[in-house]
Amino acid sequence: MNAQPHAKRWQWTALLVLVAMLASACAAPAAPSAPVAGGEEAAAPAAGDALTRANTLIFALDHSDLITLDPAVAYEFGGILPVGNMYETMVSFNPGETELVPVLATSWDVADGGDMWKLTFTLDPNATFASGAPVTADDVLFSWGRAIDINKSPAFLLIDVCQMTKENITAVDAGVVELKLPKTVSPNVCLSVLTFTVAAVVEQAALEPNLGSDMGESWLNDHSAGSGPYVLNAWERSSTVTLDANPNWWGGDAPAMQRVILQNMLEPANRQAAIETGDADIIQDVGPEVAAALEGNPDVALAKGLSTLLVYASVNATMPPFDNPDARLALRYAINYDNIITLLGGNGELVQEIIPIGFAGHTGNNPFTQDLDKAKELFAKAGVTEGATIPFIVATGTGPGGVEWATVAASIQADLAQIGVSLDIQQMQQSELLTKYRAQELPMLLMNWGPDFTDPDANGTPFANYEAKSLAWRNSWNDPQAIELSQQAAIELDPAKRIELYAQLTEYMQNNGPFAMLFQPTRVYGLRTNVQGFIYDPGDTPNVSLWLISKN
Amino acid sequence: MARFIIRRLGGLIFVLLGVSLLTFFLAQLAPADPAGAALGSNAREEQIAAYRQQLGLDQPVVVQYARYMSRLMQGDLGNSIRTRRAVADDLRDFLPATVELTLSALLVTILLGIPLGILAALNRNTWIDAGARILALLGGAMPIFYIGLVLLGVFYRQLQWLPGPGRLDSTLPPPLHLTGLYTVDALLTGNWMVLANAAAHLILPAITLGLFSTAVLLRMTRSSMLEMLGQDYVRTAKAKGLSERLVIGRHVFKNALPPILTIVGILFGSLLSGAVLTETIFNWPGIGRYATTSVTTLDYPAVMGVALVAAIIYPLANTLVDIGYSVIDPRVRAG
Amino acid sequence: MQATAPAPTPAPPIQSRRIQSPTALVLRRFSQEKTAVFGLIVIVLFALLAIFAPLLAPYNPLDQDIPNGLAPPSPEHWLGADKLGRDILSRMLFGARISLTAGLGVVALAALVGSAIGLIAGYVGGWLDEVLMRVTDIFFAFPSLILAMAIAGALGPSLQNALIAVAVVTWPVYARLVRGQVLVLRDREFVQAARAVGARHGLILRRHLLPNTLSPLLVQTSFDMGTTILAVAGLSFIGFGAQPPTPEWGVMISEGRNYITTHWWLTFFPAMAMLFAVAGFNLVGDGLRDVLDPRLRR
Repeated sequence: MNAQPHAKRWQWTALLVLVAMLASACAAPAAPSAPVAGGEEAAAPAAGDALTRANTLIFALDHSDLITLDPAVAYEFGGILPVGNMYETMVSFNPGETELVPVLATSWDVADGGDMWKLTFTLDPNATFASGAPVTADDVLFSWGRAIDINKSPAFLLIDVCQMTKENITAVDAGVVELKLPKTVSPNVCLSVLTFTVAAVVEQAALEPNLGSDMGESWLNDHSAGSGPYVLNAWERSSTVTLDANPNWWGGDAPAMQRVILQNMLEPANRQAAIETGDADIIQDVGPEVAAALEGNPDVALAKGLSTLLVYASVNATMPPFDNPDARLALRYAINYDNIITLLGGNGELVQEIIPIGFAGHTGNNPFTQDLDKAKELFAKAGVTEGATIPFIVATGTGPGGVEWATVAASIQADLAQIGVSLDIQQMQQSELLTKYRAQELPMLLMNWGPDFTDPDANGTPFANYEAKSLAWRNSWNDPQAIELSQQAAIELDPAKRIELYAQLTEYMQNNGPFAMLFQPTRVYGLRTNVQGFIYDPGDTPNVSLWLISKN
Repeated sequence: MARFIIRRLGGLIFVLLGVSLLTFFLAQLAPADPAGAALGSNAREEQIAAYRQQLGLDQPVVVQYARYMSRLMQGDLGNSIRTRRAVADDLRDFLPATVELTLSALLVTILLGIPLGILAALNRNTWIDAGARILALLGGAMPIFYIGLVLLGVFYRQLQWLPGPGRLDSTLPPPLHLTGLYTVDALLTGNWMVLANAAAHLILPAITLGLFSTAVLLRMTRSSMLEMLGQDYVRTAKAKGLSERLVIGRHVFKNALPPILTIVGILFGSLLSGAVLTETIFNWPGIGRYATTSVTTLDYPAVMGVALVAAIIYPLANTLVDIGYSVIDPRVRAG
Repeated sequence: MQATAPAPTPAPPIQSRRIQSPTALVLRRFSQEKTAVFGLIVIVLFALLAIFAPLLAPYNPLDQDIPNGLAPPSPEHWLGADKLGRDILSRMLFGARISLTAGLGVVALAALVGSAIGLIAGYVGGWLDEVLMRVTDIFFAFPSLILAMAIAGALGPSLQNALIAVAVVTWPVYARLVRGQVLVLRDREFVQAARAVGARHGLILRRHLLPNTLSPLLVQTSFDMGTTILAVAGLSFIGFGAQPPTPEWGVMISEGRNYITTHWWLTFFPAMAMLFAVAGFNLVGDGLRDVLDPRLRR
């Protein structure tokens, strides 16, 4: 019976621990929650100043889409932000401008080389990698060739959009790169493609010993080899990406923030709490209600910027009733756009065309307001009888602008109910939705589209050109006139003519297309008021230039 | 004893086979294409086709399964379709977070459930009993995802008594990786600041996750104790003049323990389930959240990996319970 | 998610009818358990609310009033309105229909399938028993929510698929429970006697084994009503369950989570509804167990 004292002692120990736990729970405010602990030098400083909370930037966002930090592979919002701050491209955009500016290349030249375009880039002789080694033409060749060989998600930008091949990239000397492009490609479109992270330059000498079996892809997930203002400290999968300032950055003043922590935070309520408590200095994607709540907070400022995304409802042009253009037009007249804008609470602008605000070719024409009589009439003309039921597919979760997809869908559902068309809302995971959309199986859906590069062609072709097997194709809308217009516009070199062509395309699609374009969402950031120099630039890569940010 | 272990192992292998087959079957049912899902909305058709081929998704199902199993025999769990990494690497990164959370929740469960259950039984029909039963009632009926949101709102956002979501303040570097459990690693390396911080980060999610099982264990302990208290021998012992404490310690609690231990084993499984929701709300980088994203993107090698790991953990927990039995009472030593 | 109700030992077989029928006896004992009666009242109340939802609800649960979205509780909307201006009280009442029918459907399906399998496994024994029990092991090895998620993900998210998924993770409990009971009973004298006189298997199963497994089954189903309601809501919360604009409680909480810091009424009321409904079933389960389990008779 010697188990007895054991059991007894254990019993009392348990109670004791319980009491201790409760006590510590109550006493906890003292230690860990202090948001600005001065003495956190425990983390080894990378360079220069000792690391403190004052020169550390904590940026909370949902980057659960992050799967890689290799510039040749990254194609997700979550990956492009850190990659764009660690690596540099030949050319870039200045925030808010559509003019190209030099980065690694001091100058570039587009020449007509007979049967091909000839682009020549002269590298900045001062450009160095974080290791201190100079950026050479060989590094550019290596990096672009590597992206083409790896051929992952973003590679089509080089391979298809620019029609780049390895043979057509050559080093004239250590400081000059020549790129030849076929005449079927617009050199201007290609130049804007080259601002994207897939064309970023990686240090060949650093990567070569670490290629492994996957061309260095996995090595680059835990190390960086770029010339940008930040270097990679660590990536804790699905929680944080920690960047340290590059002490050797050649491109400007050393970043004020010695360390930037990109913290993955999925729940909007958690992000709100993080900015209110000061645990985060910046939060991304503030919904309209939280924005309203934060507006009264003296410690928090809001930064809003229009994204380049467009949210639309689309219908399959081969499935009744929307195989009839009148029915498609009726849909556009049936929607109460004011309600949708109300739901967004300021987090979006009404846009009823396929080219977003901020892009050349955007017309600003919003011809549709809800007109139920007209919608009814058009439906009747199209032979739609009352009582039709149409499946309406939406993604699960929150859409851009911070309103749940299903909420926007429900508002459209109520609109169409008023003219006797009942929509059957079906929520699908993005994965299932995409599969069925690609297979041209969805009669009607609510979705968004983000352009792959800063040029109207990034929207013109997918929305209008059936043969590109993108959006027009997914909605089975094969319209020769739209295809012709989009192709013409894509390669037109005269800017004024090009804008005119896109205006024509826009009008044509507003009358005939399978899309009801709804809005361009605003992206809202919450900033602690001591954060300076924050700019959100949706057309640029990266969207947020971390090296410009400081705190006072 | 050896035969018993062999039987157990045989059973485990059968279960693992079944789990892999079931997951594989579910993946075939799925209405979507994992390759397309992994490449996102803007991907071109050719890219998707190439990725399908690379993954072997263009092969017949039987071939796919055979390949999977033959790799599995070599200890290779395959590659995740979404993260494009070895599933084993993903699990190595995410499993410790879940284990730490689950064990903490189990600790909460045991430290709250058993003492309160005993107290309630000993003070039957008093306010202590009533309080404990109300706690059990609420804990067993509260939706875990609502509790988590509310606890964070109150103790982190409003009162700021406890740290927010995540395993550690983001300014603190994780401790040296030994076990992957931050508290344990911090303890082993003497990193007191990280230890305190990691422990504080654990409190809210552990309570959230442990509340349901605490309720179950509390009820179980209470009724098990009551049953023993009503036994004749207890009355006899009391009549013999043995002290109350001795009776309870020697007879009642010891005899009430086996069913309590069984329920602890079962609760471990329910904690793994609850971890899915808790990890979503508390930004916990564990396998629950990994499983959720993997299911939504139909990344079945990853789902299968999680399932296989869970299928190993669960019988392991029950075996530990069995060992626990034999420590308390040698007569039930399994044979 | 699945807390197995501790299996009570079977009540002695019903052999001779006494003055008071066992059912009446159970009912009388049950009515003495105050908390259980309270639970029963809560359940009945919810059932009534669900049945008469169309009469009681002040608004159509789907009617939108977007300009009036997120209205706080007021005489107009007793429990406030959601983002689309839909009345929360009305949605909650209709949500009761969904949650209760979901619970009933899942538990009935799981109990039927599970008991049948348990009955066969326990009665036939041998290799069939071994195989069936190993199969239940497979289902037990999965954390239930992960399995349910995988099933719902594979079938495509919808309320119906979520119910199937929860049923699939629930049945093994019944299989084990019933098998355990049958194993105990199989060798009891009255079953042996029935066999000896040449009673057919079907008769033995129906007349002797099934009735004696009913009380633990009843206790288990009562608890499972609660866990099912929570599990279905949990699936809906992570997007694998009911589809909007369905006014399901889990969907309401999931839709409201983005507003939890700014507009508490979106999540609070459905969470409370769920709390009361689940607590009601748990209390009844407790009461039934106390009444039906002779070991606990005090």
